[in-house]
Amino acid sequence: MSDSYKRDIKAALNDSFLRRTLDKFAVEYRAGRDRVFSEVDERGLIRRIADVKDAAAQHTEELYARFKEEAERRGAVVHRAKNAAEAREIIAAIAKENGVKSVVKSKSMTAEEIGLNAYLGAEGVEVNETDLGEWIVQLRRERPSHMVMPAIHLSRGQVADEFEKATGREQDHENVDKLVKTARAELRPKFHAADMGISGANFLIAETGAITIVTNEGNGRLVNTLPRIHVALAGLDKLVPTLDDALTALQVLPRNATGQRITSYVTFIDGATACAKSPSGRKILHIVLLDNGRTAIAKDPLFSQIYRCVRCGACANVCPVFRLVGGHRMGHVYVGAIGLVLTYLYHDRDAAKKLCQNCVGCGACKDVCSGGIDLPRLIQEIRARFAKEDGEPMMSRLARYAMRNRTVFHRLLKFMRFAQKPFSGRDGFVRHLPMALFGKHGFRTLPALAPKAFRELWPSLRRNVENPRFRIALFAGCAQDFALPHQLVAAMKVFRYFGVEVDFPMGQTCCGLPLVALGEKDAALDVARQNITAFAGKYDAIVTLCASCASHLRHGYPKAVGAEAEEFSARVMDFSSFVHDKLDVTEKDFARLGWKVAYHASCHLCRELGVKDAPRALISAAAHYTPTPEEETCCGFGGSWSVKFPEISAELMRKKLDNVCSADATHLALDCPGCTIQLRGGADQGKRAIKVVHVAEVLAAALESGEKDDNEQ
Amino acid sequence: MIEQFTARAEAASAKVHAVADEAAAVHLVDSLRAEKTAAGLEVGVVRAAKGIAQTGTCIVVTDDEDVRLKTMLPEVSVILLDAADILPDLPSAAPFLRAEQTKGSPSYISFITGPSRTADIERVSAIGVHGPLEFHIMLIGGRP
Repeated sequence: MSDSYKRDIKAALNDSFLRRTLDKFAVEYRAGRDRVFSEVDERGLIRRIADVKDAAAQHTEELYARFKEEAERRGAVVHRAKNAAEAREIIAAIAKENGVKSVVKSKSMTAEEIGLNAYLGAEGVEVNETDLGEWIVQLRRERPSHMVMPAIHLSRGQVADEFEKATGREQDHENVDKLVKTARAELRPKFHAADMGISGANFLIAETGAITIVTNEGNGRLVNTLPRIHVALAGLDKLVPTLDDALTALQVLPRNATGQRITSYVTFIDGATACAKSPSGRKILHIVLLDNGRTAIAKDPLFSQIYRCVRCGACANVCPVFRLVGGHRMGHVYVGAIGLVLTYLYHDRDAAKKLCQNCVGCGACKDVCSGGIDLPRLIQEIRARFAKEDGEPMMSRLARYAMRNRTVFHRLLKFMRFAQKPFSGRDGFVRHLPMALFGKHGFRTLPALAPKAFRELWPSLRRNVENPRFRIALFAGCAQDFALPHQLVAAMKVFRYFGVEVDFPMGQTCCGLPLVALGEKDAALDVARQNITAFAGKYDAIVTLCASCASHLRHGYPKAVGAEAEEFSARVMDFSSFVHDKLDVTEKDFARLGWKVAYHASCHLCRELGVKDAPRALISAAAHYTPTPEEETCCGFGGSWSVKFPEISAELMRKKLDNVCSADATHLALDCPGCTIQLRGGADQGKRAIKVVHVAEVLAAALESGEKDDNEQ
Repeated sequence: MIEQFTARAEAASAKVHAVADEAAAVHLVDSLRAEKTAAGLEVGVVRAAKGIAQTGTCIVVTDDEDVRLKTMLPEVSVILLDAADILPDLPSAAPFLRAEQTKGSPSYISFITGPSRTADIERVSAIGVHGPLEFHIMLIGGRP
């Protein structure tokens, strides 16, 4: 990681305007999006977009041929550019042929991708951006910091300063409406004077050769109407077979981009319509389709899904890291999660290497993606490829060696228990590790390894249950087994109370998720097989208190191991779902605690596993559930991720704890030991009056207080 | 559908005027034009081919540049829409679009929903950027 990039991140974290804007946007965007999606079948539409675009990726040549034939039949000229340089040359040649001196341009990310403005400028053609945000960043000689809101990083005051320089007239530094009117007045003459308009396109419809342009400001329609020449530039991935496909995607794109049901303008142009300014009486219409690596990607079994991207920008809108650092540190040309992937695939692998380390793997982007792209998985794969190219770092090598062999791994953990002794306090936190080891991790205290691992406590905890309602196997996961066994002990109380017989297969080992994160695929496969063997017994369910383990055991194993994992994975359940769905626990089962319990929805639970109601229902049954803002936003733990970007991790954690504390909660409950380490450590370090507990601990406490009440009676 | 169209169009900052018939629409357009012109604003009037209830959208055939510019350049945009031409949602517009795009001459179809807008400065919603600042729909036969 370069120091300059880290400095850049730090500067962004200190930019309070950017932070306030993006924070406000993150909350408002969610609310607006939910409102407009409630009117349509969100999942069904996303599925259809994915299917259409997946098929389009496999039939690009046929779609291109049909599109070209139909568009040219209607008087357009269709070009195909192999790469950015070819696309630039094609467009420059059109300008030259027609004696073009000035161009008006509406928003096109593809033009950014090929560096069009600079190239035309060097050819002596004046290019004026006309989208308000694009015009502002053009005046500032910056690049867009968001695909839909290019100037979201700037304040109205900064915009006013820029407009004063551009117009030579004093500007209102407070009134946004007046600034918008300045842009209108300033750009109108440029539309009239321009010889050529350049636009992007959102869809290229093969059946009729039509292009679709989705806009709000109205500049796009002026760009393709007032000048005599219109050049539309788009990637080959924008091809769809039919009008129906475009109309399907049009129900998602504006909803996801800006929370609108539809934008102010959606324009369908098929062919060269009549044009008074053109010598021939017809518009001079050129459509340039850019490959630039797209057709090669279409053949990649994993990465071909990026064809599903409709450039809505939603993956940036919900990204907790984008929100902290802004688009200039979260993308190269394209921004957000898709920006990380496209930067790697198309543009700049060096830039991608830095950017990919930004992803916390929370899955928020995948959850809202218009095409259902598995963005976290793609980013994970890119990291793995970089890891392979670079040779493995020591941490990876060590992890692979130790974790492949369960006995060595567990012996290592036990050794660390002795090694940490001089540093750990009585309350189970490591406080006094030399700062050299901590680096910038002082924002949270780390849990000490427990004196006895759960696997060592097991012989004293195991009970035979007569006529058990269920017979389950407990999967501990490393963090709970060795650092937080009290969470499992609490769960044992709950299981016993509700007549569940529990087995703890000793052959179990790490689920393998940390190995996947390090790009160690083979070692991950090894530990998966060990676990499948260890849990071969007849169990009604395999229950784990760790949301990350649960998600990996359930979804990761079948993908990595294949059919032999299916029987195992189908039985895996997270603790809250098992207790809520299988044991039918209600508030009658508990003596309700006086605790005010806030809830943190772990990424792996609420998104990867889609478990949302069960833990909240359990908390409500056993205590007083206290809703807090943004329960489903990542806490910043992200496994090994927080080690690479401690500053960002600390900010995410602080925000989460601020939300909880402002609601006056006494406890914060969750379903994941990783989140526990992050938030419990943060609460301890920040001396916050809040206890961070597993949902199992809330239930166990409510059962215990109930038992006491019974005794008193 | 008329009610949904009206509600959704107004949610997108359009002003919907329900009028009984063509004559009433023309009368209202004339008085609106007089009022706006007196205020120094230009008014562009066009006719929509279809409407979309779910989004509050007017579909205007704008193959003709002059018609197109009437929806773009003036500060005030007025669109006449027959309530009987309202379609339920976006997918139901496919047959109309297909017919237009296969009619034998190139077409330019505009889906217009409210005035032009932006949120590019600090995400503050502002009406009237490069297109109309005001957007009126004369909904003929649109009295619920």
